[in-house]
Amino acid sequence: MPTPTKGPRLGGGPAHERLMLANLAAALFTHKSIKTTETKAKRLRPVAERLITFAKRGDLHARRRVMRVIGDNSVVHELFTEIAPLVAEREGGYTRITKLGFRKGDNASMVQIELVLEPVTPKVKKSKPAAAEAEAPVVAEETAPEVEAEEPATEVAPEAEAVEADAEVVEADKADDK
Amino acid sequence: MAVPKRKMSRASTRMRRAQWKADAPTLVKTVENGKVTYSLPHRAKVVEDSAGTALFMEYKGRKVADV
Repeated sequence: MPTPTKGPRLGGGPAHERLMLANLAAALFTHKSIKTTETKAKRLRPVAERLITFAKRGDLHARRRVMRVIGDNSVVHELFTEIAPLVAEREGGYTRITKLGFRKGDNASMVQIELVLEPVTPKVKKSKPAAAEAEAPVVAEETAPEVEAEEPATEVAPEAEAVEADAEVVEADKADDK
Repeated sequence: MAVPKRKMSRASTRMRRAQWKADAPTLVKTVENGKVTYSLPHRAKVVEDSAGTALFMEYKGRKVADV
């Protein structure tokens, strides 16, 4: 059951919104994928998915309830005979919304809302990642004091000749090894 | 009808206008064909051929719409 929407209706009033959503749903079932604004798509999603749930039920009562919303009987027929079998295995989530960009005239966020008709691929549960090794922080602590110890030696180096500086670096490396 | 008593000074006008700033959008950084590109997150991208002609829009490796 869709959550009731708060705030103003789309279009001019409640009836206008119902008609718009019904027409959008009919267009979605006809074309399988339509481009609309993000606001309309988000409102359309629960409406369309509820209609698909009726279509999966497939009995006459469900068909009449869908025909209360969608006026075009050929669209209802297509929904019950073609779309419903394709999503029979899917437990909800029959539509996919992909954001495309912004419309030129009013900068409205445009999206592509499409029916998810691919066969269901169940998610494989991942095994828990191994606990991070505690060695890394210990190594960092060991290296930090050595760097501080080297600094006085390198400060002296620029005063002396470059060769001596190299020698000191080598000595410092030896100190690291020790 | 209420009317302003005094002319607004240039300083206060300019101070007000100075507060109106554009904020930088949050972008994601990706590397495509060795080139670093910045794009809006969770939004389809336009795929172009080598000549720069727009072909279609793609999101997560899937073609979603024509341009």
